[in-house]
Amino acid sequence: MAGEFEFAGIKEIVRAESVRRKKWYEGKPILSMLLLGLIIAGCLNCSLIMTKDPSYMDLQNYNVPPNREFLFGTDTMGRDIFSMIWYGGRISLFIGIVSTVISTVTAVIFGAFSGSAPVWADRFLMRLTEILLSVPGLLAVIFMQAVLGEANVYSISLVIGITSWMSIAKVVRTEVRKLRSSEYVIAARCMGGNFFYILRAHLAPNFVSSIMFMAAMNVRSAIVAESTLSFMGIGLPVEVISWGSMLSLAENALLANSWWMILIPGGFLIVTLLCITDIGNYLRKNMNRMESNL
Amino acid sequence: MGRRILCFLLSIFLLSAVTFYMARIAPGDPLVSYYGDRAEKMSPKERKWAEEKLGLDDPITVQYIRWLERAFHGDFGISYKYKTDAVDVIKGRAGNTLILGGIGFVLIFVLSLLLGVLCAWNEERLLDRMICKIGTAASCIPEFWLSLVLILIFSVNLRLLPSSGAYTVGGEGEISDRIRHLILPMVVVVASHLWYYAYMVRNRLLEEVRADYVLLARSKGLRKRSIMFRHCLWNMMPSYLSIMAVSVSHILGGTYIVETVFSYPGLGTLAYESARYQDYNLLMVLCLMSGILVILCNMAAQMINEMIDPRMRTAPVMSKSRKSRPPEAAGKAGK
Amino acid sequence: MNEILEVNNLSVSFHTPDGEIQAVRDVSFSLGAGEILVIVGESGCGKSVLCKTIMKLLPSTAKIRSGNIRVKGTDITGYRERDMQRLRGKLFSMIFQDPMTALNPVMPVGKQIAEAVKVHQPKISKKELKKRVIELLTLVGIDRPEERMNMYPCHFSGGMRQRSVMAVALAGNPEILFADEPTTALDVTIQAQILKLLRDIRRKLGTAAVFVTHDLGIAARVADRVAVMYAGKIVEIGTAEEIFTDPRHPYTWGLMKSLPAFSKGRDELYTIPGMPPTLLHPPKGDAFACRNEYALEIDYEEEPPMFRVTDTHYAATWLLDERAPRIPADACVLKAADLPDCGKPYPARGVMKTRIKEEILLDVQHLSYTFSIKDKLSVKALEDVSFQIRRGEIFGLIGESGSGKSTAARCIMNICRPPGQGAKGRLSRTDIRKGADIGAARAGRILYKGIDICEPGQFRRNKQMLERARQMVFQDSNSSLNPRMKVCDIIAEPLKIQHINPPRGSLRAEAEFQMHYVGLDAGYLDKYPGELSGGQRQRVAIARALIMEPELLVADEPIASLDVSIQAQIMNLFRHLQREHGFSFLFIAHDLAMVEFLCDRVGVMYQGKLVETAPVKELFSNPQHEYTKKLLSCLNDIRYAPVPSTITSY
Repeated sequence: MAGEFEFAGIKEIVRAESVRRKKWYEGKPILSMLLLGLIIAGCLNCSLIMTKDPSYMDLQNYNVPPNREFLFGTDTMGRDIFSMIWYGGRISLFIGIVSTVISTVTAVIFGAFSGSAPVWADRFLMRLTEILLSVPGLLAVIFMQAVLGEANVYSISLVIGITSWMSIAKVVRTEVRKLRSSEYVIAARCMGGNFFYILRAHLAPNFVSSIMFMAAMNVRSAIVAESTLSFMGIGLPVEVISWGSMLSLAENALLANSWWMILIPGGFLIVTLLCITDIGNYLRKNMNRMESNL
Repeated sequence: MGRRILCFLLSIFLLSAVTFYMARIAPGDPLVSYYGDRAEKMSPKERKWAEEKLGLDDPITVQYIRWLERAFHGDFGISYKYKTDAVDVIKGRAGNTLILGGIGFVLIFVLSLLLGVLCAWNEERLLDRMICKIGTAASCIPEFWLSLVLILIFSVNLRLLPSSGAYTVGGEGEISDRIRHLILPMVVVVASHLWYYAYMVRNRLLEEVRADYVLLARSKGLRKRSIMFRHCLWNMMPSYLSIMAVSVSHILGGTYIVETVFSYPGLGTLAYESARYQDYNLLMVLCLMSGILVILCNMAAQMINEMIDPRMRTAPVMSKSRKSRPPEAAGKAGK
Repeated sequence: MNEILEVNNLSVSFHTPDGEIQAVRDVSFSLGAGEILVIVGESGCGKSVLCKTIMKLLPSTAKIRSGNIRVKGTDITGYRERDMQRLRGKLFSMIFQDPMTALNPVMPVGKQIAEAVKVHQPKISKKELKKRVIELLTLVGIDRPEERMNMYPCHFSGGMRQRSVMAVALAGNPEILFADEPTTALDVTIQAQILKLLRDIRRKLGTAAVFVTHDLGIAARVADRVAVMYAGKIVEIGTAEEIFTDPRHPYTWGLMKSLPAFSKGRDELYTIPGMPPTLLHPPKGDAFACRNEYALEIDYEEEPPMFRVTDTHYAATWLLDERAPRIPADACVLKAADLPDCGKPYPARGVMKTRIKEEILLDVQHLSYTFSIKDKLSVKALEDVSFQIRRGEIFGLIGESGSGKSTAARCIMNICRPPGQGAKGRLSRTDIRKGADIGAARAGRILYKGIDICEPGQFRRNKQMLERARQMVFQDSNSSLNPRMKVCDIIAEPLKIQHINPPRGSLRAEAEFQMHYVGLDAGYLDKYPGELSGGQRQRVAIARALIMEPELLVADEPIASLDVSIQAQIMNLFRHLQREHGFSFLFIAHDLAMVEFLCDRVGVMYQGKLVETAPVKELFSNPQHEYTKKLLSCLNDIRYAPVPSTITSY
């Protein structure tokens, strides 16, 4: 053992790190992604799945409960609900995405502008957003739609889009303010980076993650808004099939106690919303949390 | 204080102007709401006479000034549709909405605090996780659909509760009848908003619980419960109150859908009709009312905040004694 | 001896998603009544965790794996929250590092103290309670207590807040006070006051204390006994005298030699090579072996046990084993010749004799700067500050936090918007009131090579030159590097912005060269800042500044957020790089010793004014201004006798 007690000096230690590599799916919302993927795929390829023409009114078979021919039954106008689900899902999702794109783009521009504007302008713009925020979103949509009159897919997307950008704009603005006074942005400015360079290289990559969650939530609320509007009869007319307009026949369904007309489209709607929420929460969660002191 | 009142009056004035112009610029025929179908068959001459009678032929600015003048004396004009004083129309409906929205608001306020504290107390334990899961799921359900399903279950199938109206015709005075009519709409109003606020309370509390002062409080021997309630919850109150203040309008506005599904006679449906059918005078009063409500709530929240949080006050001690500079000074250097 | 606290073989670990972090490993010590034990160690060595474990204030992910804690003979290891609540405050209490966050911001200070009194005396009358609160506030040296007890923490300065925290901690008359780096977040002068207060309280109340710090200098001032912690273990423990006059563990030697005072008059600061290990997977054998010049073969195989030196002095190093070879007599004395620095010797390329040229590179004339916080409230950050920096000179700027040093740096870098035009207007108004001379009112210029950089026109004309010639290093390397950019992109960023063709072919090659230059491995090129340690990040920030071959480097407290041993590494690097490049250097710090080591001339800032400027030797030997004298006395006070001179071989 004598050799052990000899000077060895500083030696490099090769550390056998046994850090377990995470599997790709760990921590990800697998079930939600799968379900949402299925629903989206089904809606996009609806022509392959549909068993009937969704807009054909089979007057002999109206208000039929689910059976072998009509998988999800028919509505009070004799249309096949199974086909309508896939066909109408397309429009619901389309409106959700388009209006989110509108609101997110507006929000990012507005937020980035407000965040980089001088203090007085920023204060004014934020006051404005706060006032707009305190107007209940759905009510604003309803008023605007009422004013605009007859709705189509695009007008609905537009109305929903321009009434839901405020909360994202606030987040973007706060992020920009925070980042703008962060030292690496100051450093980049010292080096001579101009506004657009800083926006592209430093700001954008940093606030993308916080926007993702908000955008996912916006898709969700847009779909809700569309279906609510259509349900109230101020959104899409009954002939344009969407999950919302399918539910607008619910009053009749209530009278006839036809549960399938309410539960099935609603079920699809809610599963989609849940999946989106779950994925959105996942997008937000990747920040590390401190431990509680209590 | 004087500045605040000035601010308040100014915003009310701006709001009224914006609503007035917006409503009039929007396409649509106000005569339809006054004369119904007859308006479409009118000859140009009759039309002109009708417009003159309602004061709709002047330039918008003149109309607005006239409206302002009258409003100053408490005269808000008549509702075109109901042909009576706009304020009276609203008076008839406001009670219903206030009951639904007001009780709903109080329930949401109390329940969200309770749920939030419960979750934060049991952070990441089974109870918290379950409440979070259920809450997230519940917040995904659209209001109208929840109303439909509740009606389907409790009215159509079980026949336990009425599906529409605020009272059975003839039984207006009976409180138990009113309550029975109120249960389903109330459940929907509370269920659709509750989780949003409860989740916020939970997250704020979790932030507070991570602050350093909790450690000091524990090291002086305070019980966990009193730290949670006397320190954390109290510190969280300012932000919670300001969010709840904004929520007043959201919750009241949210009752609109519920009112429609349950055919509940309230202000929501009234507001919708007035916008849809260009019932200008009614619309103006409703907009002003909600505007005043929102602004008042915000002001109240701000005032309560200043009472609770000393940092929100302008510190008189600081500016006099030069002993230490405000901590912001170092941070401000970045801007 | 009557021991009130005994810790035996305590091990604590945290469960994280990445695995188990062994924060405290097999720690034993005891504390006598009225004794002050100082635990010294670098950040992350487990010293705070140790205190919090004893008070059971750790989050639920932490677990005591083995060992026990005895208080006055009772084993409290298994105590539950309810039992602990009874002990906390009464038996032991704690004060924390950051007084800014330790107090509840929306509760009056007096009420927070009253709460602590009431916990243990629930039946106390209102009058008595008030009396007690005032008594406590007086005890911790807050004057006008009746008035102050109703004020909120935000109205207090840092020092007063720390005093209030102490009042809260002392409210229950605890027998043991845990102090977790209570002076780290404070300015030097306040630090000295708080330390004095701590000693006074011990004298008056006989409270025993466990004092956690990273600063041996502070340990020397207050300690009865000292424990040195490294990587979760106590590696050496003994009375203060023993530790300071006869240290036995190589890590303790390293810490002592790292004290700037020890390197006085030498060319480089002593540094302990390498970095502390992570406790996620502690290395086999002695955790310190890979930083230890005198490591034995066995150190890499087996953990050393505690060897007894005297009855009170123990150290965990194999060097004390009887089989160990004798250490060369000068082992723990610094040898100027073979100073190791992070394993890489500096290439000693000809030191410039005439480093400082006569040409004045930067001329700051009567600079004033005012922040307006609210409409009526404004803070003068700078008031009539003038100094010059010659080409090749290192100018140090010292002062406490809020004295305007950073603002000065930011004005020089054009980050703070033109004090030139704006300040003139503001200045003239204040000057009229004060009756200052007109000369000052007209001024407020910063000349860089004769260019007035505060004037927009001149700045715009020379923008490119200025942006290339001046570079800055920030205090917090964590926030000055974009967390989403790779190291090589960060370093090459200035070249990219300025569209300079990299002389070594590609931006990457350029970044690699600079990395090597500042002593970083090329393997870090593709990492993100979050994966680097604080010292490494600061090196990256320096590399980014140097890639432009600047004429003027401004460093705003570049070492303030680093550990002592890493601080010394960075200081050596600065000195070396400055010699190599010959850039002018504005070095801002609050640490006098560091300034003394590095700078040629020093300016002292106090409340926005530059109160004294002098060559470094003159300033330290013959300070003129009251504030400078006070600063220096704090420094000398902390540097108490037994520190470096008496380290001898054995």
